Amino acid sequence: MLPTLSILLLSLLAGTVLTFLAGKAARWVALGTSMLFLLEVGALLANFTWPGVNASGVPQYGFAESYPWITLPWLHISYTVGADGISLPLILLTAILQLVTVVYSFEETRKPAAWFGLVLLTCLGCFGVFISLDILLFFLFWELVLIPMFFLIGYWGGLNRRYAALKFFVYTHVGSIVMLVALLVTAFYSHAPSFDFAGLYGPAQALGVTTQVFLFAAMLLGFGIKFPIVPFHTWLPDAHVEAPTGGSVLLAGLLLKLGGYGLIRWGLELLPTGLVHDQPLLYAVAFASIIWGSVIALAQRDLKRLVAYSSINHMGIVLLAIAVDSNLGLLAAVLLMFAHGIVSALLFMVAGSVHHTFGSRDIASIHGITPRTPVLSTMVMVGSLASLGLPALISFPAEFGALLATWDRIGYWVLIPLLLLVVTAAFYLWMMQRMLFGPMEGVPEGARDVRWPEALAMSLLVALTVLYGILPGLLTNVIIHSPVYGLP
Amino acid sequence: MVDSTLLLRFLPEFAILGAGLLVLLAERMGAQRRELFGGLAIAGMALALLFVAADAGLAGLGSLRGVGASSIDAPVATGALYAFSSLGLLFQGFFLASALLVAVALLSRPSREPGSPVAYALLLFATLGMLLVALAADLVFLLLALEVTAISSYLLVGYTRRDPRGLEAAMKFYIIGALSASLSFFGASLLYGAYGTTSLTVIGHSWPTGAGSLASAGYAFLLVGLGFEVTAVPFHMWAVDVYDGAPTEVSAFLAGGTKKVGLFAFFLLFLVPLLLVGTLSTPAGSARESIQLALALLAVLTMTLGNLLALLQKEMKRLLAYSSISQAGYMLLGLAVGTGPALTGASLQILAHVFLKTGAFLVVAAVAALGVGPLVADWKGLGLRRPYLSAAFALMLLGLAGIPLTVGFVSKFVLFSAAIQAEGWFLWLAIAGLLNSALSVFYYARILKTMYVDHVDPGAPPAPSPSEPSLAFDGLGWGRAGAIGLATVVIVALGIYPQPVLSALGAAVQHFLTLGV
Repeated sequence: MLPTLSILLLSLLAGTVLTFLAGKAARWVALGTSMLFLLEVGALLANFTWPGVNASGVPQYGFAESYPWITLPWLHISYTVGADGISLPLILLTAILQLVTVVYSFEETRKPAAWFGLVLLTCLGCFGVFISLDILLFFLFWELVLIPMFFLIGYWGGLNRRYAALKFFVYTHVGSIVMLVALLVTAFYSHAPSFDFAGLYGPAQALGVTTQVFLFAAMLLGFGIKFPIVPFHTWLPDAHVEAPTGGSVLLAGLLLKLGGYGLIRWGLELLPTGLVHDQPLLYAVAFASIIWGSVIALAQRDLKRLVAYSSINHMGIVLLAIAVDSNLGLLAAVLLMFAHGIVSALLFMVAGSVHHTFGSRDIASIHGITPRTPVLSTMVMVGSLASLGLPALISFPAEFGALLATWDRIGYWVLIPLLLLVVTAAFYLWMMQRMLFGPMEGVPEGARDVRWPEALAMSLLVALTVLYGILPGLLTNVIIHSPVYGLP
Repeated sequence: MVDSTLLLRFLPEFAILGAGLLVLLAERMGAQRRELFGGLAIAGMALALLFVAADAGLAGLGSLRGVGASSIDAPVATGALYAFSSLGLLFQGFFLASALLVAVALLSRPSREPGSPVAYALLLFATLGMLLVALAADLVFLLLALEVTAISSYLLVGYTRRDPRGLEAAMKFYIIGALSASLSFFGASLLYGAYGTTSLTVIGHSWPTGAGSLASAGYAFLLVGLGFEVTAVPFHMWAVDVYDGAPTEVSAFLAGGTKKVGLFAFFLLFLVPLLLVGTLSTPAGSARESIQLALALLAVLTMTLGNLLALLQKEMKRLLAYSSISQAGYMLLGLAVGTGPALTGASLQILAHVFLKTGAFLVVAAVAALGVGPLVADWKGLGLRRPYLSAAFALMLLGLAGIPLTVGFVSKFVLFSAAIQAEGWFLWLAIAGLLNSALSVFYYARILKTMYVDHVDPGAPPAPSPSEPSLAFDGLGWGRAGAIGLATVVIVALGIYPQPVLSALGAAVQHFLTLGV
């Protein structure tokens, strides 16, 4: 069998290296690389079959590969990769966002080779995280994501970029370390024969209740900083506001998903008992994030900051869907991560274009932009409506599933996220009312509608928002090919 | 009568000694060019490295072998002064690697700088002492070998003779060194008084079973004396001033090379009792616990204080000096855990540090030669002006911070994994270490930020020009470029595929441990 995932990884790596070296032609190399990668991922999806669960109950993976890497009598580390229904939608998301980010920033003039190279490198790291099935390999890619993002924010960012870049790096690195300790303790305390998923699966599940409770809580902290969960979220608004648009797109669209994915793959699957016993904690954190995210979003004047806080709110719903520990909940969590990836990318692009066009993102001082910039206004509207969960757009089935799963498990507590959805709708509608409609104000002379690369990138995302909103089955049929449905 | 096999056994040491004497001879005969002295030193070191590799059993070098395979990892005979262990041979390789990098980089200093022959000779003699430490089986032999290294390095720090800062550093180093040596020798004499022998193995075996107060005091003095050597907190104060004042290439050698000698001495002194008591029941258990706790405390203090003080530094050399102190803490952590895996991790950490820290100091030397000032802030914009040099430095900093795809990551991963694997309170030691490495990321990232992200004011004075623009690579020089390039390649290669080194170290540590018991 072909080493499919390694081929994908290597082709992306080769494209990234070429982009760094390509000088003025970097954007074309990056465009070619990301289009090729999207095609490859499409082929991956078309050929995916899930091998199911083996005789001893360990989930298997499609496109699985494993080669020994470091072998000592007490340490068995391997290069093990594979994909299932949980990782494939996120791999698809990586490919899509990589392409649209390259397209959106196609006219980047400041050090284009470094810019496109770092964008591709970030996506490479995310792809690596989604396919890794060995602790060390997973951690390696996880950390790899940090470095290009540090430079993307730090070099191409806004006025306060240095502070934001450093804060981002330190916060997420601390999270990584907590996560690494939890993973290593899981491996060593369970006396697992190896560091790969199959070796860990049985022994980890057999760990004692107390150990599992502590380990799961540690993983919640480690992965949660990436989510981000309240109260460890403060790096996110700073990073988003200071990051360049492409950086924000990758940050919200992909990096936040790493946390959710990690918690499902390494937390929920390995430590199911820990999850069940930590449920009160998980609910508390999830509700706090949902409430805090949407209430604070309501008070924002900066469009980008508003979208950033709404991300905290949405990722809170993802955490809630994971916490309820049901098949429907997990299905909704993965779907919502995909949806949020697309929608938040769209919204950050919108915010970036608003900034380019009007020289400001201040919701309170820009009014009535629709007549001057109809295309941009349409994008603002579609993005906002998708984000607040309008039916027939991508977030609706996901949020509906998440709330239904919550209702199934904890009944009337579902009113908390439900009511907060109203707040979410309120801040988006209020923002649209002020910015899009009414008499024109705060629009500089000569402000023109978005340029074609930006319009193209956003249109692609709008198309996906509608497509998956109408046909969520395209994704759910993939997601169910995973241990989600095999869980007890 | 001279036993010919005796000579063969010390081929690496003779190569170094011979090169050192040749350098001095060439100077007496009026040679002046640095290239000649450097060439001799590098040839001697390369030859020694070849012999060490042959002794360690590297395939294809069998004909160069001086030490028979049967003598390596053999039980230590009573009264033996030295013994060949595979771990010792590997450490000899580490020491030689560090010396070699420094010798190559020294080539790029001004060609007729006064003192350069002395510097090469001293470098060689210090290396000789280091090689001997790795063979020690006897307390006095060990301490004398340490002194050979120490005395050579005091002189090395002040070799330029003109720079008052260098002289001050040499003086400080000498006084502290004398104190450290006298404490160590005093400890050794107490141990001799207690057991009537200087054999490391015998002392190690005797202490846990009959730990008289005399012997315990002896161990305590040795711990402090050697604590100075490895810059463990609270015996670290000298290190920063010395690293700061010494010529930067010498700082590279002190941080990347000679410090590791003290760590190996720690291995020799403390491992046997640590291991042995593991197999005995009480009261030895409490003796084991007390050594482990002392080492763990030393390790955590060293890491934490080194990192905290590094955070406050504005000068690049002082920052690296403090970071070097904190790195010593990680190595001591492995010793405190004391299991085979932990020692493998600590040894790899030592190897990683040889390349990372020697390399980092050599970059600092190179950047200083380019006319950039000593402050971290002076490095502003260097990432764009000097992309390759900066990329190498960035890689070294990421390695020191323990970021993947560098050898620094692999070593920390193995080390902390081993601590977690040992279970019990060692988990907290691992967490302390990991938190510390998170803390260290802060100041390493700050340097990266200065180099790459901070914008240079348009009104700032133009970029400084190299002090010797005639050298290759825009004033960098072949020597520095070569040494830095070599270190970079090793850092990445071992970061991606550490298996050969790890399995060699793992096996050597296992032999070393079984030998002790």
